[in-house]
Amino acid sequence: MNIPFVKYAKYLLTVSAIVTLASLVLLFKWGLKPGIDFTGGSLLEITFSQNRPDNSMVEQAFSQLGQQNIVIQKTGDTAMIVRTAFLSENEHQAVLNGLKQKFETDTNKIREDQFQTIGAAVSKQLRQRSILAVILVCLSIVAFVAYAFRKVSQPVASWKYGVAAIIAAAHDVLIVVGVFAFLGHYNNIEVDIGFVVALLTVLGYSVNDTIVVFDRIRDNLLHRRNLGFSELVNAGLNETLARSINTTLTTVIPLSALYLLGGSTIKNFALALLVGIASGAYSSIFVASPLLAYVDKWQKRQAK
Amino acid sequence: MAKNVKPTVSLTRSQIKWRVLWIGILLVFCALVVAPTYANKGIDWVNNKANLGFPRLPDKGFNLGLDLQGGAHLVYQADTSHVPDADKADSVEGVRDVIERRVRGGLGVAEPLVQTTKVGEDYRIIVELPGVADVNQAIKMIGETPVLEFKEQNNEPPRDLTKAEQKQLDDFNKQADKKAKAALAMSKTTSDFVSVVNKYSEDDRTKDAGGELGFINDKIYPEIYNWAKDHKNGEVGKDIIKSFDGLNIVKRIDERQVDNQTEFLVARVFVKTKQKADIVPPTDQWKTTGLSGKQLKRAEVTQDARTSQIQVSLNFDEEGTKLFADITGRNIGQPVAIFLDGQPISIPRVNESITSGSAVISGGFTLLEAKQLAQRLNSGALPVPVELISQQAVDATLGIDSLTKSFHAGLIGLLGVMIFMIIYYRFPGLLSVFSLVVYALLSLATFKLLGVTLTLSGIAGFILSVGMAVDTNVLVFERLKEELHLGKSLHTASEESFKRSWPSIRDGHIATLVSCVFLVWFGTGFVQGFAVTLAIGVLFSLFTAIVATRAMSRLVLKWFKEEGNWLFLGYGKHDSDVTNK
Repeated sequence: MNIPFVKYAKYLLTVSAIVTLASLVLLFKWGLKPGIDFTGGSLLEITFSQNRPDNSMVEQAFSQLGQQNIVIQKTGDTAMIVRTAFLSENEHQAVLNGLKQKFETDTNKIREDQFQTIGAAVSKQLRQRSILAVILVCLSIVAFVAYAFRKVSQPVASWKYGVAAIIAAAHDVLIVVGVFAFLGHYNNIEVDIGFVVALLTVLGYSVNDTIVVFDRIRDNLLHRRNLGFSELVNAGLNETLARSINTTLTTVIPLSALYLLGGSTIKNFALALLVGIASGAYSSIFVASPLLAYVDKWQKRQAK
Repeated sequence: MAKNVKPTVSLTRSQIKWRVLWIGILLVFCALVVAPTYANKGIDWVNNKANLGFPRLPDKGFNLGLDLQGGAHLVYQADTSHVPDADKADSVEGVRDVIERRVRGGLGVAEPLVQTTKVGEDYRIIVELPGVADVNQAIKMIGETPVLEFKEQNNEPPRDLTKAEQKQLDDFNKQADKKAKAALAMSKTTSDFVSVVNKYSEDDRTKDAGGELGFINDKIYPEIYNWAKDHKNGEVGKDIIKSFDGLNIVKRIDERQVDNQTEFLVARVFVKTKQKADIVPPTDQWKTTGLSGKQLKRAEVTQDARTSQIQVSLNFDEEGTKLFADITGRNIGQPVAIFLDGQPISIPRVNESITSGSAVISGGFTLLEAKQLAQRLNSGALPVPVELISQQAVDATLGIDSLTKSFHAGLIGLLGVMIFMIIYYRFPGLLSVFSLVVYALLSLATFKLLGVTLTLSGIAGFILSVGMAVDTNVLVFERLKEELHLGKSLHTASEESFKRSWPSIRDGHIATLVSCVFLVWFGTGFVQGFAVTLAIGVLFSLFTAIVATRAMSRLVLKWFKEEGNWLFLGYGKHDSDVTNK
């Protein structure tokens, strides 16, 4: 079995480019919905022991308590998450008592499952730290990939392996971002610190995946000198194909379990990881390696 | 290919057996750490039967984060804008200390975590209250600024007088007034002041000395002092002077200079009047003096030069100095209490009026106690207001719910991976399942022994690392499949596969670990929980896949024919034989 991935490199890369571009368009058109981690504000999760009132009624109750511009999201069967502006502890108690007065009956009790409030100073710190962490992780991964492939510099320089791996990883991250821009627009799903963590994990995982494929190509470069670079890349891809698919599956299985069974708090985090890891497996096969073969072709054409 | 790579490892059979045995022992140890309950039951049973007295295993639970056991995570910002730079860290430590005492004592939270952190120029205090039921109450208690107060003995009546009591008081004082007027009349007719004293004065202490009070300054009897200022030596007052304890007719006898202040020697005829407190005794032993932490400049640990006793010295500001002089002046020989948050922490006795604005509290402190006290006093003296800037409160019910859900998700995920590995890789798959069990128990035991706080994100990291742990096995088995395709013997193929997949495994794991290191540094709870468990998981997956799976393979592969059989994916001499995959 030998699938000629490299032969179709042009088409594969085009498809990936289109998907990435679409993600970028979604990102710039709709943007991501930043959660309270980054904007500051409060999040209240309440469970009704019997019936959950309609969103509009809860909205009305909040506006009577002086809280406009709230976002209500239903979760589970009888719970809801309400996002508001920053509430001081007094306002929080006022809101809670107001809700209880309005909706609580002898049989239908309200339980406050969780309450989070994040002030401007904390959210600013989280924003700055997130940006810094993303930059540092990217830099260190480029450095590491360049180091890992320092011995292979023919016919393609080692730093170009690094760049190809990073392009593949950026592709994965952008796809996750695109999916969440879409979900943010249609399902009000917000991005929080967990999302940034998922992105960084995807970054590491995608590079890990790409390294395994590149490693095989490196191995082939050292041992099969009779083949051309494109053929070597293609052979490496085919040889690692089963591994790529299986590894992705063994990661996707527990993550799916987490997504389906893990509860509302962890759902979006698991989703971001799922999308990113699936994309990571795709990109290591269909983006990073064809890109490498392409670089070689382009170099040869330049040389002539 | 790869003819130049020789299997370099040549362990003897018994060495391999020992390795597997060690892994088995490790496995049992981890299992005992993770779930000691069953083992303890067994130990109890043996102890009961044979009376051997085996010790029980420590039955410690996992360190659960607030999101899994319920509780509150509060972040306070300390407003240090009015504190000099050098004292900022100290004053925030003081606030931390006060908060810790409040949550421990006042709220009864067993294991609160109160720590300070500096973000840029901001000082913050992080308070974690596991299992606290009423977060609102906790916030109220923490939010109060520490209160330092100086109190003196209370003479105020606890209630207003009844009409009868008021009448009794008025009658008594009317009598006293009459008596004083009579004394005044007599003093105007005679030059012998002592005879007036002997006839009328009710002050037992001064009566025998001809009414002489001694030299006075403006502290204790300011009314008498003020009169004396405006009159000459030998002069006797023409009016009755009221003091806090009664009515006086005063004669100035002499004057002197002490510390740039004039003091007067006076004698008096004293007629006692009654105060409210004489009729209704006070219920509260202490009363507020108006001197508080606000007027304390700073407190520090010092050592008595003579006795080398550890003590805490206090320095008041201008207003405090004046107040403190008044308080000590009117309480000579009396105790003065220093209250912190409504509790008396020190009750020194006043030996003399203190006008220098500084005082020491000596009371058999250890150095540590004195330091703490100084810190507390400073935190009261420098009230650094705190503001709640972030709060995360999770109900215990939701916490337990999350714990069960993520536990189930993890279990099902693990089982799913195991089933997949066995179906796809057959016998090696089974070996990897054993490795996974070793891996899971090893990780869990490590979480417990290192006291890693398990949060929801931490469990997610662990679940994710299961997938990564298997990745190592997948890499090796795929290599094994290839080597078998090439027609190598099972033993050689197995050794080769571990050897040749190592560079990929190593590099891939480093890439993930690099991300983890930055995530741990990232700092916030959610992120750290995830990164720590993921990093531990990634490290152990290296161990289990390379050491555990390898040792087991070496042991059991001997049981099979050299070319393998259908249990091994990829067995056979030619590629064409392997169409059944």
